[in-house]
Amino acid sequence: MVPELDPIGLQVRWSRLITVMDEVDAALVRTSFSTIVGETRDFAVILLDGQARSVAQSQLSSPAFTCSLPFAARYILRVFPPAELVSGDVLITNDPWLTHGHLPDFIVVRPLFAGDRLAAFMAAAVHISDIGGRLDEFEARDVYEEGLRIPPSKLLLAGKENEQLFRVLEANVRVPRLVIGDVRAVVGAFQLGAERFEEFVADYGPQGYQALCDEILARSEAAMRGAIRAIPSGRYRGEAIADGFQEPLRIHVTVIVEGDALHADFTGSSPQSVTASVNCVLNVTYAHTIYPLKCSLTPDLPNNEGLFRPISVYAPEGSIFNARFPAPVKARSKSSYHIHNAIYAALADALPDRVQAGSGSFWSFRCLSRDNDGQPVITHVLPNGGKGATPGRDGLPTIAFPGNGTITPAEIIESNAPLLVLRRALRPDSGGGGVWRGGLGQEIAFRATGADPVQISVRPDKIRFPAPGLLGGSPGAPGELLLDGRPLAPGPFNLRPGSELVLRLPGGGGLGDPRRRDPRWIARDVAAGYVTLRAAKRVYGWDDAAGDRHHSGAHSRRRPRHGTAGGRPRNAQGGDT
Amino acid sequence: MADVRRFRLGFDIGGTFTDFVLVDEQTGTVHLNKVLTTPRDPARAVIEGLSALLDRVKVRGEDLGIAIHATTLITNALIERKGAKTALVTTEGFRDVLEMGTEVRYDIYLFLERPEPLVPRRWRFEARERLDKGGEVVIPLDEQGLRKVAARMRAEGIETVGIVFLHSFRNPTHERTARAILARELNGAPISISSEVAPEIREYERMSTTAANAYVQPITRSYIEDLERRLVEVGYRRRTFFMLSSGGITTGETAQAFPIRLVESGPAAGALAVAYFCRFMGLGSVVSFDMGGTTAKIGLVKDYQPTKAHMMEVGRVKRFKKGSGLPIKVPVIELIEIGAGGGSIAYVDSLGLLKVGPQSAGAEPGPACYGRGGTEPTVTDANVVLGYLDPGYFLGGAMRLDAAAARRAIETHLAGRLGLSVIDAARGIFEVVNQNMLSAMKVYIAERGEDPRKFYLVAFGGAGPAHAYELARALRMKGVVVPPNAGATSAMGLVTTASSFDFARSFVTRLDRVAWSELNEVFGAMVAEGRARLAEAGADPDGAGVRVARSMDLRHKGQGYEITVEIPDDVYRRGSTEELTRLFYERYEEKYGHAHTNLAVELITCRVSVTGPPPDVPLQEMSGAPRDPAAARKGARPVYFVEAGGFVDTAVFDRYRLAPGAEFGGPAVIEERECTIIAGPQSRIRLDAHGNLFLDLPR
Repeated sequence: MVPELDPIGLQVRWSRLITVMDEVDAALVRTSFSTIVGETRDFAVILLDGQARSVAQSQLSSPAFTCSLPFAARYILRVFPPAELVSGDVLITNDPWLTHGHLPDFIVVRPLFAGDRLAAFMAAAVHISDIGGRLDEFEARDVYEEGLRIPPSKLLLAGKENEQLFRVLEANVRVPRLVIGDVRAVVGAFQLGAERFEEFVADYGPQGYQALCDEILARSEAAMRGAIRAIPSGRYRGEAIADGFQEPLRIHVTVIVEGDALHADFTGSSPQSVTASVNCVLNVTYAHTIYPLKCSLTPDLPNNEGLFRPISVYAPEGSIFNARFPAPVKARSKSSYHIHNAIYAALADALPDRVQAGSGSFWSFRCLSRDNDGQPVITHVLPNGGKGATPGRDGLPTIAFPGNGTITPAEIIESNAPLLVLRRALRPDSGGGGVWRGGLGQEIAFRATGADPVQISVRPDKIRFPAPGLLGGSPGAPGELLLDGRPLAPGPFNLRPGSELVLRLPGGGGLGDPRRRDPRWIARDVAAGYVTLRAAKRVYGWDDAAGDRHHSGAHSRRRPRHGTAGGRPRNAQGGDT
Repeated sequence: MADVRRFRLGFDIGGTFTDFVLVDEQTGTVHLNKVLTTPRDPARAVIEGLSALLDRVKVRGEDLGIAIHATTLITNALIERKGAKTALVTTEGFRDVLEMGTEVRYDIYLFLERPEPLVPRRWRFEARERLDKGGEVVIPLDEQGLRKVAARMRAEGIETVGIVFLHSFRNPTHERTARAILARELNGAPISISSEVAPEIREYERMSTTAANAYVQPITRSYIEDLERRLVEVGYRRRTFFMLSSGGITTGETAQAFPIRLVESGPAAGALAVAYFCRFMGLGSVVSFDMGGTTAKIGLVKDYQPTKAHMMEVGRVKRFKKGSGLPIKVPVIELIEIGAGGGSIAYVDSLGLLKVGPQSAGAEPGPACYGRGGTEPTVTDANVVLGYLDPGYFLGGAMRLDAAAARRAIETHLAGRLGLSVIDAARGIFEVVNQNMLSAMKVYIAERGEDPRKFYLVAFGGAGPAHAYELARALRMKGVVVPPNAGATSAMGLVTTASSFDFARSFVTRLDRVAWSELNEVFGAMVAEGRARLAEAGADPDGAGVRVARSMDLRHKGQGYEITVEIPDDVYRRGSTEELTRLFYERYEEKYGHAHTNLAVELITCRVSVTGPPPDVPLQEMSGAPRDPAAARKGARPVYFVEAGGFVDTAVFDRYRLAPGAEFGGPAVIEERECTIIAGPQSRIRLDAHGNLFLDLPR
């Protein structure tokens, strides 16, 4: 080891790199235009080494992006070889096959120089507000219908905006000021990042930076290999069924653990859909395989590509998880957000203390209205269902997983759009039963208040196939989408004044046999109304008169520690308390 | 006996110590006292410590002109969940918002937990009523239904209530009516309404704040009544004032109505003290750095004012992790808190790397070198090994440190595992804890669009002055300043601050669409309220010294975030929204390099701060001609400096014998009773006329 890179130098410098990205993140949030970036944080910013391998990210970066971003950056660099880049160049693309699987995700990459030598890259993935194309979420027959595709291009040339590209972009999106505003915010935040990087190499030199990156990657890789080695070698099968659009989707995975390497093979999953935008490109499949494994195996380590190296992914070309161009991909979270369920199902027996039951999040709600000037206004709401239970802890109500984001407050929704939010409430009985109960979903109801109808599109999920339970736990309650009390098919529609739209978001799955749940927690759930008395009897065998279970034979003597009042919480990894 | 209004008293109840500062207004002479806090009966330590101090300096309770108080009581009640049985009433359909929160995960890789809501679901009730975004009534308040709710509350033994209706910040009528009804039905139980506690848009944050206010109201009420009664017993004849988290002060009545505004009042007082010292240093803008046993707190002073924020968090379930606590939307002096202090424990993580904190050995068992049973290595232990602390002069020699125990702890737990010498491992602790603080400082500064190179770092607290030089060097700052009496800085802030009141009203509109008269009405109401509060605090509300500062939270139309733009008085007088729009573009461009002048500007919230005249407390000018620093030299010892890569034989000075005007080059150690100042080789050390110690760094 180079003497300067002792465990202290490594810790100090590594932490400094993460801080650089946290600074970039802060600058981006504060200058962003859309609520998607500013409030719901649907973006990631990462730092890469000279070979475009990711070494650091902002701590709140959206996790799936951080897995696919290094691949996206390397794809872009095949088109623009590093040797031809100059300081101040900024590259961009949203090609789903090169990046994160659908057009609204912009990938922006900036080379960073130490003197005149290219030494690193900074990259961002940002979900922008609109990319043109059809308004519906699912019905495109190919990616061309889904909006503007930007091949790898120069967004800035040596610090100067590529005006033609900006004009093309402006002409093809419905809310250009939000889109251009967010793109410029990324460029501005990168400028801050570039200055911080220059300070870093002024202190340690470009060689020092590269040596640090090598060390970060090597240590992280070794840590992930160590964690994998703790899983008994073998082949583990897991399956999950997702709503899809018209046709359900089958997610089948074989997780093969061999010593310190893990391979996930998605053979047996549904073929790619030709009628619905639910297809995943391989990058996205990879990202959503890595993410749940990272949460289980190395939750407290800073994320970087070293952690990904021991993990490989295969999905047959032409399958839902490796769709061929130009398949429609816009709503790919309809399949990608279910991958963790199959992975956790596969590993539940081998790794029972580190899995999570299925989660109810998320849906997307989008309202297109016009302000007083006739300008289009898009209001996004990304509400979440309940989180799946984990060993030692009930699932949290209404929280994001595997994505992450903030709910738009009702008062903000009403300030932006001609809507009245009639209620936002927890859904009793929506959490799947288990020793550890699934988190509750929520009900949100809207009514249009203006004189004219407003255009709404909702992307629901887990309406037909709920969030699965694990290890004997029950699934969460499925979601429901209702217009004036009647089920509504997903897709854009006009909400007429006076009509009531109800979103019932699914609950999370339970973990472990509900009949073994500690009666104290059942009593608490009934008292709070999280679980109705009827459901307590049916799911948990609850006898209200006795304040206990019917069948004492099934009564667990275990006294589970619990993540809520009355007990000290315990995290599945043991590191989160 | 002397004129009655001679002395100002400040007392700050902290977690470990209760500090007192007594200032003679005429001479500026400062008297200090420090006693152990009595958590079960906090007023006891106050009375005992105060009586002792008054006896010592021969001042009677009657001679105190004003007493100002800061306390951790309310923060602790929230963290330890020791508040009253609290109910919440919300707009029908929204009672669960308190539990659903923002739905964001504050950590993306952990199977995480969230704080339990302060009001459990069975005590969250709903009222049939509804306002729209303009404050117009959509559904009138169902008063009959509310009475039924009150009956259920009585049956449950509810002691305090929060009321939160949607859009109430635009029209408080429903909340006020509901309060009147519940007050009648619940025999005068305290009731908090969101349009008074936190009249700002975003229902979750407003609800969380109102619930927290209600939750701590009963205990605050009985505490304040008790304290005031006992102060009378020691002869104090005037009103007691309370420090707010915003840095203003307020009366006991207001403190009882809005106890949530007293959260973190001690640290706020510390920031005010820094601002006060800035006046004498002639430095308008500095970064403040307070490092104690468990945490470090960092803040920004600009134009002699501590930076304020509109929101904070209490009771984080994941220590120091942003987003893991309860949001409290009150005006607050902005301080970020890091789990880095003298007691922070160092360990080796699963990657074989050295980590420090946030776990702290605290005061019990304390660092290994305290010799009180602590065996794990801490920052203080490293500082002993590196020569920063003299084991024989800790707390002025009142406590002896065990250097061998410090070395042993580092050897046993770290050096072997890391394959490093004890010295290198100690150096590692120092560097890693510094890096933790640097990371937090950098992000904090980036969030504000500031440049650290423009500032001095003002360091205080037991550990701050030992770490400040390295932080300032890494951030390329101008240098470090250590003010006098760094051991009782917060209490100093209490006696030097002016009465000040902050108000906010959300008012969402396009700036070019709003009539000036409407804005004037919103601002006018807040200013009138501020003047009324000043009068309560004993200031002349219409006097020449009263300052009114107005600002607006503005953004480009459609943008996700607002920036706060101050409105200069002349701009306000001219009453032009176009001018405000231009001002917004200018500020935005200053901060972020580009504004979008083709986009309309949206107003979100109007803010007003009304401040009385500052008390005239001079910082006693130190007398004596500049002397040769050699006279203050106590000796020398080897001290580790990162930039030297090893130990350097370093002179040690007694701060109390350093005279104003003294100037010399680093490296040096300057010792005072409560802290040790480490001045690295690149620093120039000088003492100004007021006793502020500067470590200037090369530009």
